[in-house]
Amino acid sequence: MAAVIKTVNLTKRYGTLVALSNLNLEINEGDCFGFIGPNGAGKTTTIKILATLLQPTWGEARVCDYVVGYQSRSIRPLIGYVPDYFGAYEDMVVQEYLEFFAAAYNINGSQRNKIVSDVLELTDLGYKRDALVDGLSRGMKQRLSIARVLVHDPKVLLLDEPAGNLDPRARIEMRELLKELRRMGKTIVISSHILPELADLCNTVGIIEQGELLYSGPVADIVKRARAGTVIVVGVVRAPEQAAALLAQHPDVDAVAPNNGFLQVSLKNGVQDFSFIASQLIAGGFQVNLIREEEVNLETAFMRLTKGMVQ
Amino acid sequence: MLGIADYLWRLIPGNPILLRVVENAGKKRRDMVIRCAYLGLLVTVVLFTLWTSGENFGDLAALARESTDLFQKMSRLQLGLVALLSPIFTAGAITQERDSQTYDILLATPLTNGQIVLGSLLSRVFFVVALLVSGIPIFAVTQIFGGVAISSIVYSFLIAASTAMVTGAMAMAIATFKIGTRRTIFSFYLFIIVYLVGGFLLDRVDFFHLKYIDASGVPVHTSTSWMTALNPFLALRVIFKDQGYMPPNLADLPEGYQSWPMNWFWTSPATFYFGFMFFLSFAMMAPSILLLRRLAQTTTSLRSWVLQKVGLSKGDRTRKPRAVWHNPIAWREAKTKASAARATFLRYGFIVLGMTGAVVLLVMHSNEQTPKQFINHSYDPSKNTLYIEGTGLPEIPVAPSVEVKIGDDPGTIDDLNGRYQVKNYTLDANQAIATIDLDEFPRRLPSADARSWLLGLTIVEFSVILLIMANAAASAVTREKEDGTLDLLLSTPITSRYYIWGKLRGLVAFVLPLVAVPVASVFIFIVHDVFRWLAARDASFDWIVFPEALITMPAMLIIVCAFAAILGMQMSLRCRTTVRAVMSSVGIIVGACAAMGWCGFAVLNTSGSISSELGVAIGSFSPFTLLTILIDPYEYAGSAFQHSAGTNYDPSGARIVAFVVCLVALAVYALGIWSMYKAMVKNFDMTIRKQSR
Repeated sequence: MAAVIKTVNLTKRYGTLVALSNLNLEINEGDCFGFIGPNGAGKTTTIKILATLLQPTWGEARVCDYVVGYQSRSIRPLIGYVPDYFGAYEDMVVQEYLEFFAAAYNINGSQRNKIVSDVLELTDLGYKRDALVDGLSRGMKQRLSIARVLVHDPKVLLLDEPAGNLDPRARIEMRELLKELRRMGKTIVISSHILPELADLCNTVGIIEQGELLYSGPVADIVKRARAGTVIVVGVVRAPEQAAALLAQHPDVDAVAPNNGFLQVSLKNGVQDFSFIASQLIAGGFQVNLIREEEVNLETAFMRLTKGMVQ
Repeated sequence: MLGIADYLWRLIPGNPILLRVVENAGKKRRDMVIRCAYLGLLVTVVLFTLWTSGENFGDLAALARESTDLFQKMSRLQLGLVALLSPIFTAGAITQERDSQTYDILLATPLTNGQIVLGSLLSRVFFVVALLVSGIPIFAVTQIFGGVAISSIVYSFLIAASTAMVTGAMAMAIATFKIGTRRTIFSFYLFIIVYLVGGFLLDRVDFFHLKYIDASGVPVHTSTSWMTALNPFLALRVIFKDQGYMPPNLADLPEGYQSWPMNWFWTSPATFYFGFMFFLSFAMMAPSILLLRRLAQTTTSLRSWVLQKVGLSKGDRTRKPRAVWHNPIAWREAKTKASAARATFLRYGFIVLGMTGAVVLLVMHSNEQTPKQFINHSYDPSKNTLYIEGTGLPEIPVAPSVEVKIGDDPGTIDDLNGRYQVKNYTLDANQAIATIDLDEFPRRLPSADARSWLLGLTIVEFSVILLIMANAAASAVTREKEDGTLDLLLSTPITSRYYIWGKLRGLVAFVLPLVAVPVASVFIFIVHDVFRWLAARDASFDWIVFPEALITMPAMLIIVCAFAAILGMQMSLRCRTTVRAVMSSVGIIVGACAAMGWCGFAVLNTSGSISSELGVAIGSFSPFTLLTILIDPYEYAGSAFQHSAGTNYDPSGARIVAFVVCLVALAVYALGIWSMYKAMVKNFDMTIRKQSR
């Protein structure tokens, strides 16, 4: 698949502060790429560069094979940018707001009316057509932001924390809307702090810290990478200390630690088979009520891969 | 007892809000620069006055005169600076609630309403008061020379301090009653300017002066007016003991004015001014103190409530969408700014007031008064007699060699068959009319006064339009930077050329209905004159406004508005905040208009060194001078339009010069706009990028 977004050694400095350092990124067509990182890691800077709002200090960023800075005019009709705030105009109603941006993309006449109606329907904002933008709730405003970037049917959506500060219902609705857009074939770059939702929505992620990309690739791979070794959660009916001591003697066990009434058994590197745990405990007279492999999710992976350093 | 003392202590001296400001005062670099500039200006005035003085300082009387002059200059400067700085330092209170999250936090503390309101007010007025105090040593210089009473200095300081106080109290009241938005700050400035300048101008109108017969039976016309005790600059003039501007004595006042407070108002306007202003400050603060927390709990602002009541706003947060133009940037500037309820109210208010003023002038001008003696087509050529109404005499014979004068011009015997006021006539030995002085029927508003009033009206209207344009243009880009909408636009295919052109087009469209007001005012006078001209068929007909004004005036006003727009946008692009952009562009536009107006009027009134046509030509480059040439050239535009008695003058040469040069001036302004536009387009990306963090 062709890379829709590609950055090569992308660097951005603000004076002496290095916001981005040699960022190399490839996002394919139809991907939903989740951008994860602590505050101040460089996510917004990257998205702003891709949205042609900032010039890189060094390196190159390409969107649909057009180079940011040199061919920005060709990039703009292909992207839809949603910042981490809602840019509201005073005294505009929802329909005017969308028509305003449609006109900015040179969509006029009856075509504009049809597109605005379609987008309002898609984002379920049709009944708010006459409402003043200023008076909308935060969730509605975010949905209107998404509607705004859909009026010109862009190939790439750049969304900077679109679910920030939304209530649970609005977040779920936003996630469903983005899933729908993904099904429509849009390439989506989304930054967010809500990792379980990113894991649900995105097929690829990038973890960035202090302007450096720590990881970029499929979600499943990051989980695998974050897992240092296999960890088994074991539950016994009584005497967990003796059970822990028994398991610790096994040559394939690296460490055993109690955790909330269960035992966390870390196996040595390369050991995949954990069937011996059950047989050894039963042979030792223990009653086993749980044996399962510990899950490593995106949050765990994020915590393991980043140090929590901010600039 | 201790409770009251503690309350009073915490109300002002120990007020934590005030203490925070006082403790930090002087630490800010900006405040230090302003303070130095203020004192520097006062010192410069002192040194300049002493340096340019032609007085002999060996003479005590001369020293006293010099000291008085110095005091007057410093007082005026001090009051001018206070009037300028007070709104700047106090207007921030208007949007305090919206901009700062600390307001709600303060309301949630045990601080009383009084502590919060007085703390906020005094902390904002503190800087201006500190400026005043810092100027005391410089004022003390006048005491070395003598000639200035200490009470005069104290009054001068009290007038300045009360002006600052009432400005701050007004801002706080607006904030507490939730009638303020960021745009209100501009209206607040505008109101203060209009109040100060308007009061000063109204003082010159005869209507506002008191006329009565004094105790000795002599008719008196007071030099002070109803405005004196209400305007700080006029009140200040009173303490200078200017012989041409003295308040009347109590004993001379009519009976109805001898009781309190009218006696105080008229006999001591300076003390009335600061006394009344301190009282007004308290009166404005009292409801704020009483209702602060209750008003903070309401969800509807007073402004919304009033707008809903007058039908300008429904309050339901919905309305029918309007059609967006092909250029959305222009549409936004032209339509959304003007459609807000407050803007609608102001625009219609401006249009209604302006047009009402023009119609009233026209009605007063066209309304003829019946003179004591007049002729009304009452000459009988067959009998050679004339009937003069108002004399009580029958038809009077007319001498064949009668000398007829109409105004300052000679007339003929045929003119006796017209309709004229008879100013005077003489009879010869045969009791026939030998000489007769005629004139047009007097009007309620004579032509000269009509021109002056119309000129004043159009100049005030155009000044307001320019200020509105400066404000709108200066906030055009900065507001988008502040609310983040600029980034949204920059990520669309809209180019800098398209963006700036759209803004310029939209801003000009925004003020067009306002520009139409002075143009329509002039138009109705021209239409009225056209009918008069058709009836008179007189080549030397005195137009109230020259008809070519219908071409040159709108063109000039629009192009100057566009110039102000591009200038404001330039500031808006360069400045990070709206307040800074507005202050800069208003300052530049006011300065440029004042300089051009001053040069224009100076050139128009120059006699001898340059020809009068050249003066008109140069004057036509300035919008305000051009308005003067078009509307009231006889009074202000020099000898090119002067009507010498007994001469058959024709100002068409000067009119052609003014018309042609106006077209050239339009081209020059257009070129200036174009070059600034090109420069803005070229530097747009670079400027925006520099500002992005």
